[in-house]
Amino acid sequence: MSFVASSLQRVRPSTGEDPAPTPEIEITGRRELTSDERELAGTIFAEFRADPRYHRFVLGCLNCGECTSGCPAARFYDFSPREMVQVAQNGDATTLWDAMQEKIWACCQCYSCTMRCRFGNDIGGIINVMRELSVVHGLESTRRALAPFRRTFTLLGTIGTQLAPDMIQPEFFRDWGPAATATEADWGVPLEILRKAIPVDVLQTTRAAWEVSVQTSLELFRIYEEAGVLDMLRAVDPDLVEMLVDLVEERREEFEAARERYRNELERMRGPVATFPG
Amino acid sequence: MNPILVLGGGPAGLSAAAELGTLGAPTLLVEREKFLGGNPERWRYSLLVPDLKPTAEVLGGLLRRVGEDPRIERRLSTVITKVEPASKGFRVTLQTAGAEEQRDVSAVVVATGFEHFDPHRKLEYGYGRYPDVIDFKDLEGMITDDRILRPSDGKPPRRIAWILCVGSRDVQVGNPWCCRLGCAVSIKQAVEVRKRHPEIEAYVYYIDIRTYGLWEDLYWKAMEEYGVKFIRGRVGHVTLAEGGSRLLAAGEDTLLSRPTEVPFDMIVLASGMEPGRGTTEAARLFGLKVGPEGFLAPEVSDLNPIDSGVPGVFYAGAATGPKAIVDSVTEGMGAALRAYQYARD
Repeated sequence: MSFVASSLQRVRPSTGEDPAPTPEIEITGRRELTSDERELAGTIFAEFRADPRYHRFVLGCLNCGECTSGCPAARFYDFSPREMVQVAQNGDATTLWDAMQEKIWACCQCYSCTMRCRFGNDIGGIINVMRELSVVHGLESTRRALAPFRRTFTLLGTIGTQLAPDMIQPEFFRDWGPAATATEADWGVPLEILRKAIPVDVLQTTRAAWEVSVQTSLELFRIYEEAGVLDMLRAVDPDLVEMLVDLVEERREEFEAARERYRNELERMRGPVATFPG
Repeated sequence: MNPILVLGGGPAGLSAAAELGTLGAPTLLVEREKFLGGNPERWRYSLLVPDLKPTAEVLGGLLRRVGEDPRIERRLSTVITKVEPASKGFRVTLQTAGAEEQRDVSAVVVATGFEHFDPHRKLEYGYGRYPDVIDFKDLEGMITDDRILRPSDGKPPRRIAWILCVGSRDVQVGNPWCCRLGCAVSIKQAVEVRKRHPEIEAYVYYIDIRTYGLWEDLYWKAMEEYGVKFIRGRVGHVTLAEGGSRLLAAGEDTLLSRPTEVPFDMIVLASGMEPGRGTTEAARLFGLKVGPEGFLAPEVSDLNPIDSGVPGVFYAGAATGPKAIVDSVTEGMGAALRAYQYARD
């Protein structure tokens, strides 16, 4: 069962129809913690505060709620980026523990809160730090929350992701951020055209960016391996990681074999050319 | 004695010039605009906080004193283009309609004031895109004319929202400071609207209410006597509702921790205060110290907010930071005294 159906209450249905009957609600964070859990909560709290990103991402909070007002998750669930900043600043390990059980997984990591924050907090970023810790420590609630995403992980791991840094060039997002110009007339080009003109190093357009070459996806997997992403995931879902490794190993062999064939072909074609003296 | 130069004809500059005249000092009052009175005159402020007296009544006395005093030379539509040190004071170049003139002055009062934040820069509120999203200085003019109507269709609004701290307390636009006046002025406007049109609902979206000191009375009365509603939380963005005929303000009610979306007929943005153009220019021309916010920084900010640190240059008013008219006028008096002492010695 996904985290959505289990314990985050829907605060506002998206349609005018009667909401579905309330499912069994299990609020893991509110029960008494066992001594093991208390100890782990303390460890996580210490690691959270020691993370070098903590002081860069959490600067303070005016409680203005501007982050929450644009948050797609807050619109539908009992979740609020503003509350996450309060949690991040709270000195009580149990408060952090409670929020890390399920709330952090309601965030869709769109970072609109970060873009809006007038204090300069990176709220999406600090939620990400909480998520990392919950994965690294293999929390039971994290296992449950991430179970429905196994298929997504499999695709991301074996085929690759679709975002390139090039896509976030200011030139193509003139309607974003503090330096945004006022109207479409100022841009000279309709927004739609600007967005379509975003160059992605490998594939030129956003539409084509959904196709990832075998080489690129293998390189991405290498990054996951080297950056410790797979080790992190192992704490939560070791079976999935083994499956991913098997799948990618197979693709790697296929790719190497294809490359070998290509090299041989190239040498065969070059062969006679090279024999002619200068 | 060479004249004492007063830069800027807003409340602070008027106050300094009027006092200098009273002291018997020759005074040269230079104003960029073609009128005296500064921002209150330029944006036609209606009633001024805290006593809700008309602007003309508050500034009228000062304008009269400056206008009638033969020792005060008033130069409108004039800017300073060059400053050179002189044996005592400065030699400044005045420019009026392209014509330049050099004058020796014995001391300078910099009263170059502030500019309202341009709300176009907070794109999410749709100022400039939706005609019924207006700046609170636009509403001042409407209240002055007693014509509170939607700019889009000229109809009377049923519900108005005020959004505080637009371009203040916001590192996204590079303005982390508080404008000090936005709360009081917005609440005053809500009261004025409710007084004239009790049928119009008034909502104020705030982060913190800073009707500091005795002005707290205004905040309480707005609720007690005029039924102004306060929602703690910022509006995140404004979109259109009801087929484009109304505005929709989306935000978080941070006390209830719930998202809120309310349709409005007009939305008023309380734009903050930024250093005025003249303030930045004065800093360049006279080599004045500028603080991290871009306002002029006094040499000793706690005990003497008037001495600039450059001999012969003194500050008054919002050139050194957001300030109420009463404080600007008080500083004008202080700056007149300091400049007079300097010029006479």
